[in-house]
Amino acid sequence: MTAIPVFRTEMSKQVRRPRTYVALGIMVVLPVIMTIAVRFGERAQRAEVESLFSLARQSGFVMPAAALLFMSRFLLVVVVAIFAGDAVAGEATWGTLRYTLVRPIGRARLLAGKLAMALVFVVMATLLIVVTGLVAGGLAFGWHRVDIDFGSFFSLHKSSGELLSDLAVASAYVAWGMTSVVAVALMVSTMTDSSNGAIGAGIGLFTTSEILNAIPQLGAIRTGLPTHYLDDWQRLITRNESATDLWHGVLIQLPYLAVFLGIAFWWFKRKDVLS
Amino acid sequence: MHDAPVISVAALTKRFGGDDGVLAVDDLTFGVAAGQVCGMLGPNGAGKTTTLRVLLGLVRPTSGRASLFGTRITPSAPVLARVGTVIEQAAFVPYLSGMRNLKLWWEAAGTDWPPPGLDRALDIAGLGPAIDRKVKTYSLGMHQRLGVARALLGNPEVLVLDEPTVGLDPQEMRSIRRMLKDMGGSGVTVLLSSHLLTEVEEVCSYVVVMDRGRLIAEGTVEELTSEGARTAYVEVDNVDAARRVLAGLQGVRSVTDSAPGLAVDLDGVPRARMVAALVNAGVGVETVMQRHRLEDAFVGLVGEETMRQ
Repeated sequence: MTAIPVFRTEMSKQVRRPRTYVALGIMVVLPVIMTIAVRFGERAQRAEVESLFSLARQSGFVMPAAALLFMSRFLLVVVVAIFAGDAVAGEATWGTLRYTLVRPIGRARLLAGKLAMALVFVVMATLLIVVTGLVAGGLAFGWHRVDIDFGSFFSLHKSSGELLSDLAVASAYVAWGMTSVVAVALMVSTMTDSSNGAIGAGIGLFTTSEILNAIPQLGAIRTGLPTHYLDDWQRLITRNESATDLWHGVLIQLPYLAVFLGIAFWWFKRKDVLS
Repeated sequence: MHDAPVISVAALTKRFGGDDGVLAVDDLTFGVAAGQVCGMLGPNGAGKTTTLRVLLGLVRPTSGRASLFGTRITPSAPVLARVGTVIEQAAFVPYLSGMRNLKLWWEAAGTDWPPPGLDRALDIAGLGPAIDRKVKTYSLGMHQRLGVARALLGNPEVLVLDEPTVGLDPQEMRSIRRMLKDMGGSGVTVLLSSHLLTEVEEVCSYVVVMDRGRLIAEGTVEELTSEGARTAYVEVDNVDAARRVLAGLQGVRSVTDSAPGLAVDLDGVPRARMVAALVNAGVGVETVMQRHRLEDAFVGLVGEETMRQ
């Protein structure tokens, strides 16, 4: 038997849970607020011309990228950690985990179903930011190509199709960049009956990685951090770089996924369920 | 027992926390035959719930084995599909309705809704329209009734129940007990852990008594209570005088306080002789009862001291 019935059940629980709508609602509301702020706020100075928020006025296709950049630095992480960290520990808290296991449902299958649910919500949350930014940005600034020339200093020429393609790649890249958060939150979720602890572990991994990444003295060690390459996708839009330049950021997640998910499955299969 | 046991626990030991950890179950062996309603008794910390969790594949034994239908229990063993359970408090997803909880629990294993035992389970739960209300609005009793309903959804061949009547009112308790008796009569094997000795005495045909992780007695209710049949309970108008008279009566092994009266271990002394001795000493006898309840047998087995701990 596959993990599909478990996945369906998990999705069914999530779509009926008010918290899901609050979490995903934040992914909608904030890009709208950001768009309003950019539309009616002060214009950026020339020194900030390369930032996505500065470019956002140029086209509605840039606004979702700016929102994605802003959200992926904290709020998206929180939402992702909530879905993954609560997956097992939440059931343990309610006492339903023991009943699910004696149904019986294999522990690996249960964890796989919950992992799939968490990953779906990572993708959904990311897409909601981008789609909301796209709609709000288009309404505020119009959906059209970007043509910027500042002489030798900076120039950017992108068609609407290219911008949409960049957004699709950026969404996938950011969602993938969140998988290490999912993995560590799920791992801790199998070890504790406290959802908050598991959610905190996911956020903690991200925050710690960001802090260490900001210390230049750590040198090459920083390239092994899960968030080191997280913002690299910006250059797709602001510097005309190719998506193939993002492979470092894709690969760096793999060892974290292997270790954290490996421990999660190993631990959960052997754990005494006392909750 | 004449039949091969449906539930079998053999030399089961569970120690939590490594070699120096807590010994929850210690070399426990017992079996429950098909159709038997077996009660599991023991004071708090006796290891009852741990034993049930091992039987359900939730806890791994340190050594020994637990089997159902001859199949060794491992985590999420397929044979558990033949088992219905309420273990400790019935638990549900609070923001879902009772019916949605049952449906999702059933479908999570890839089985089609509705299950074969749905109508009977809902009938026993007796929640009426409340079955469509969110579980977080339920009382403790409603939780437990929904828990029993969940245990019955798949028409289980074995029921493993840990305090299933906690939180129920007397009428609901009676209903669940009647259901358990009926289940035993229809061939379902039941293992019932309960603090309510009267419940075990009423429902169970066989009893396993545990203390500090070990099996200290097992047998039919009649076998376990026969030891207490020599004990009489008397209520008198002068307890101190009665205690002195009975302590001096030849053949009486012990006299203990059992407020408001006295429990007298007669050891073959006819009750009539005991009453005559009291009356002749001027002590008014108000009540004389033979004591052979399971509660007495249980207290005798595990000791007053353990019960107080």
